[in-house]
Amino acid sequence: MKYLFLIGLSVLSLRINAQQKHFSVDDNGKFIYYQIVDSSLVAKDSLISRAKYFINVLNKKAFKIQSVTDSSILANGKTIIDKTVLVSSHPSGEISYKFIFEAREGKCRFWLTNFEYIPYERDRYGNFVLITNFKTPLEKTPDKLSAKEWNDIVERSFAKTEQFGVNFRKFLTADNNKKFRKHAEIIITKKW
Amino acid sequence: MKKFLTAIFSIASTTCALAQEAPTSPLEFSGSVDTYFKYDFAKQPGNIATSFATDHNSVSLGMIDLVLKKRTGKASFLGEMSFGPRGQSQSIPTDAAEGSSFHIQNLYINYDFTEKFSMTAGYMGTFIGYEVISPVGNFNYSTSYLFTNGPFQNAGIKATYKFSSRVSLMAGLFNDWNIYRATRGVSSIGAQLMVSPADGWTAYLNFLNGADPAGYGTIEDLTTSYQISKTFKLGLNAANYDSDGNGGYAGIALYPQYAVAAAVTLGLRGEYFKTKDVGAVEGKKYTGVTLTANIKSGGLTFIPEVRLDHSGDKAFLNKDGFSAPNAGQFSLAAVYSF
Repeated sequence: MKYLFLIGLSVLSLRINAQQKHFSVDDNGKFIYYQIVDSSLVAKDSLISRAKYFINVLNKKAFKIQSVTDSSILANGKTIIDKTVLVSSHPSGEISYKFIFEAREGKCRFWLTNFEYIPYERDRYGNFVLITNFKTPLEKTPDKLSAKEWNDIVERSFAKTEQFGVNFRKFLTADNNKKFRKHAEIIITKKW
Repeated sequence: MKKFLTAIFSIASTTCALAQEAPTSPLEFSGSVDTYFKYDFAKQPGNIATSFATDHNSVSLGMIDLVLKKRTGKASFLGEMSFGPRGQSQSIPTDAAEGSSFHIQNLYINYDFTEKFSMTAGYMGTFIGYEVISPVGNFNYSTSYLFTNGPFQNAGIKATYKFSSRVSLMAGLFNDWNIYRATRGVSSIGAQLMVSPADGWTAYLNFLNGADPAGYGTIEDLTTSYQISKTFKLGLNAANYDSDGNGGYAGIALYPQYAVAAAVTLGLRGEYFKTKDVGAVEGKKYTGVTLTANIKSGGLTFIPEVRLDHSGDKAFLNKDGFSAPNAGQFSLAAVYSF
């Protein structure tokens, strides 16, 4: 009985956890991924230059910067969404979004919004490519026939956005001394 | 030829050294399955002599199509194999031992020397025309006369240069059409100019000169499609083919499509097609109108279709087996892509 209760509780918590894996909605009814980062160890200027480096260099294919000030960055971004088949996957479309980053002394915030989806289709050479230039807002209410597929797209979009958020956050708050220590450990064979 | 290849490889090796490393992708896996029912109004299975959907009053098979793709840095490969009438006897040359087929739709290796310049070698879906073998790539389930009479695939080596996202040029050397192994050497020259005058509008101007199944010939082809609004798309294919001593063909097909709901799109294909005279034998003229619906639910697409063809040359058969100027058919296909 006790075990059944525990299993039930675990399933319930998993379901609640799963339900939370979804975009929040802003005051305009748009999906938004919003994060505030406490960065008391990193100066405001460093936060801006780190954010610029992350967007402009590390993710240059995914972002196009629109404007930069001494305390903010505005960019358009895109992420490719995959569809999983067995253990493998292939691209099924891409989401585009607006990315806003703002920094102050001791903290910064960033958010992604205006999510729009464009499907890919397989071309004559077997590659998945854009088939239309018309985007569909991710908030749209799907019809019955495409509801499941659309919900999958929203879930995958959130998972990719969340992964981006985690990576960006880590990069912003990383210890500067450790950040660039990427070389493999040097082994000195003279010593045991 | 030797100089041309040397020049290509020297450009390639120079740009290779300048290019940045691209990321590795996981193995991609995708494909499709299709099946259909067709009913010819004159009960003549081969009445409309275009490709696929050949059986009358029968629930019949299309093909299962399996695609693998992998990218490692700047190199990638793609292999696409199909099993079933559509992907074997109805489209693929039987070229293996004991009459079996290779079942290969695409099998090529690509190398992106830079973001703008790439080269591809192997067996590829043809760059000519609007329609393709895979039912996933077509709106209509039946195919046009232009598709049936043009090349399906080209084996060869091609180089593509992207001047911008709106203009690119491809040039290549190919075997004779639809052949895994050249019978008359690497005998064809092909080129494709891609222009995108506006967002959602792409136009391909294609040229292929060299060995074809019957002799030697030249194709000029224009393939274009424009997603004019979120619900309306217009496609066009026009081609002219001259085969030395073997006639050829010319034709034009228009493809308007209108989305009446998120999951339902209606489309029309109107085609005019003419085979050219061969000596004293006059060519035949055809017109065809095909009304098709695509009803999508996830990966599944239902394709009901009505097709009416006319030929003043009485190219069809009526119920009694006599020559007739008109032919019609209804088909219902199911295509699942994953």
